[in-house]
Amino acid sequence: MNVQFKKGVLELCVLVLLDKQDRYGYELVQKISEQIAISEGSVYPLLRRLTKEEYFTTYLQESSEGPSRKYYKLTDKGRMYLRELTREWKEFSNGVNQLIKEGVSDE
Amino acid sequence: MNKQQFLNSLDESLQKLSSDERQDILQDFKEHFANGIAEGKSEEHISASLGSPNHIAKELLASHLLEKAERTETTGNIVRAMWAVIGLGFFNVVIVLGPFIAIAALVVAGWASSIAFILSPLLVFINVMLNPDTFILFDMFFSMMLCGLGLFIAIGMFYMTKGFIRGFVRYLRFNTKMVKGGLKHV
Repeated sequence: MNVQFKKGVLELCVLVLLDKQDRYGYELVQKISEQIAISEGSVYPLLRRLTKEEYFTTYLQESSEGPSRKYYKLTDKGRMYLRELTREWKEFSNGVNQLIKEGVSDE
Repeated sequence: MNKQQFLNSLDESLQKLSSDERQDILQDFKEHFANGIAEGKSEEHISASLGSPNHIAKELLASHLLEKAERTETTGNIVRAMWAVIGLGFFNVVIVLGPFIAIAALVVAGWASSIAFILSPLLVFINVMLNPDTFILFDMFFSMMLCGLGLFIAIGMFYMTKGFIRGFVRYLRFNTKMVKGGLKHV
């Protein structure tokens, strides 16, 4: 898939995954890469940026399996941003789907 | 690349960041490795999936420099942020450098004309000193008008320059969100 495109979408993916529950970095990366081919390392710069923009807060929690994990929690500001991005995404994908449908049926 | 090599390489590419921030970033990746290893993955496998530490560092540096440019809008900070953003992709040479040159040219031209206008009475004065017999009142009043106009342009330019700088930093920020994100296949 197109590269520019993916970056904007990655942001949406991370926000969506944090809507229902807090997650730690590795978990987020795994969830996303199960669905889309990404270079996993680029999720971390994204997480840092969104945290600095106050869309997330973070906290550390012990885990039974290894070192303590940094969890990301969506803030109200982040939730609002998620709504906005989701709306934009739906408009966009509906538009593209419509064009694909028309294009395919014309041929 | 094993875990230690990955972390060393990342650490090295992040020398420009404060050691606190660098430690914090490295901690995130150490945690990532630990979680992967607990799942039975090899260090090599994990670091291959993470991608190039160099590229990760570039993204981190670009957003760091952008933040700095936003906090203190000095020309140096903005130019540094711009180069970092350009470094994220060849594509950006056109997309970032183009508008920057256009904006910079506009700002320079605006300031140059306002300064020329403001100084125009001085030119008339010099002219009168050199050739006293060519003096006409029209020159004097016209240059005074230009001087006033130049002052207005200068005030306008002051706000415009500020606005441009802010707008450009926001554009850079938007650009880093869009360009070369989690790419796996270039």
